[in-house]
Amino acid sequence: MSLFWSLVHLIIFPGGAFALLVALYLKGLDRRLVARLQSRVGPPLNQPFLDIAKLLTKEQLIPATACRPVFLLAPVIGMAGMAACAAFIPVPGVFGGLSGLGDLLVLFYLLPIPAIAIMLGGSSSSSPFGAMGFSREMLVMLSYELPLLMVLLACAMMTGKLSGAGTADFSLVSIVQYQLENGSYCFNPVMVPAMVAYLMFLPGTMGVAPFDIAESETEILEGPMLEYGGPLLALFQIGQAFKTFVILGLGVVLFFPGTLCDFWPVNLLWFLVKCTLLMFFSMTLVRSATGRFRIDQAVRFYFRIPAALALVSLVLVIAL
Amino acid sequence: MRLDIDTCLKKASVCSPWLFRINAGSCNGCDVELATTALIPRYDVERLGCHYTGSPRQADIVLVTGPVTIKMRDYVLRVWNEIPEPKVTVAVGICPISGGVFRDSYAIAGPLSRLVPVDVNVPGCPPRPQAIMEGVVLAKQIWMKKLGILEG
Repeated sequence: MSLFWSLVHLIIFPGGAFALLVALYLKGLDRRLVARLQSRVGPPLNQPFLDIAKLLTKEQLIPATACRPVFLLAPVIGMAGMAACAAFIPVPGVFGGLSGLGDLLVLFYLLPIPAIAIMLGGSSSSSPFGAMGFSREMLVMLSYELPLLMVLLACAMMTGKLSGAGTADFSLVSIVQYQLENGSYCFNPVMVPAMVAYLMFLPGTMGVAPFDIAESETEILEGPMLEYGGPLLALFQIGQAFKTFVILGLGVVLFFPGTLCDFWPVNLLWFLVKCTLLMFFSMTLVRSATGRFRIDQAVRFYFRIPAALALVSLVLVIAL
Repeated sequence: MRLDIDTCLKKASVCSPWLFRINAGSCNGCDVELATTALIPRYDVERLGCHYTGSPRQADIVLVTGPVTIKMRDYVLRVWNEIPEPKVTVAVGICPISGGVFRDSYAIAGPLSRLVPVDVNVPGCPPRPQAIMEGVVLAKQIWMKKLGILEG
């Protein structure tokens, strides 16, 4: 029975179909909002679905000089990793999350997988632009991983400390449970710096401006994605959509999991509203208003501001 | 009635044309117009679902500017061949259509239709943004014909 429910969580809700539907509509909303912020009309809301349908009908070209198995497997790895991640995201008031002691740790290890898939794809494509994109993706990834680790650690230690366990509690289930009973972390002054650091981490990991360094189409022609087209690119986009759901959901779960009432459809809607707001303030607004950082600027930014903020929270959690 | 997934996918696919630009020795006039069409608020090409891509492997509609010069001929052909089927070729500006002011020059390998099958011509020096938009819309219809799903 538990295997059956695990499969349901993986394929239908909250992972799989639900995550994909939400993430693709959020992406369409994001494109539309950016267009409106720039006084344009913008594409229809279902544009990401149309894009994926288009890519599935196109011819698949594979460069003769590419490392074929890795080139074909990279998008599958990226998508599978993130699809598995999506099942771990609790939806407060609707779904308590897959029980386990260290699901936050599992998420932390699975989160870099799309970036690694992009690196694998770029380096196996035998294109010089792919190699450049590889090194850029890796630099950005290395710089945002440290703040992310400290943010997650701060949340885990906070929960462990306050709930009386003494040690860090790496279970998303108990993090949500604690906040539902005692108020969200976004109202806790100790955790506010960590929340701001998480907001700054979002555009970096999603590769949107000003951190679209690895896939900058005006400098290195889409970088690692240069040789991908057709169904394989569609797989990459599906993986990216899962990743959007995972990191937005994780943000909501870690900092504002509060519910409105005991009625689950309201809670589900409230979760989606919070995801949308998180996306709007951390990605859409930033993306429509900024240009692109140089690589050194991005690395310096991540090691200075989000890392410092996350460290402040971590030290405060340990000290208080 | 049987739900035909293939036809559904094809019908959805024409709503997402990704554009790719080839500059075949253009004076940049048409390129500026292409950038204007995509970027300024008034002629928003994204509302048609279009998206400029930097990679020929992701392109559906290829916009060629410039009178294909002898130096550029091989590169244009090479990049054009890297675009996956089904693709639609649009000649933007008078240069790729007839050679324009460079017609009969010793340095010209064009017009474009001598090298690759051209689907849509957008004349002008440079063409107005509205004309380029219309060219993209026509290219979408030709793409539908190539997929065999255009009614009427």
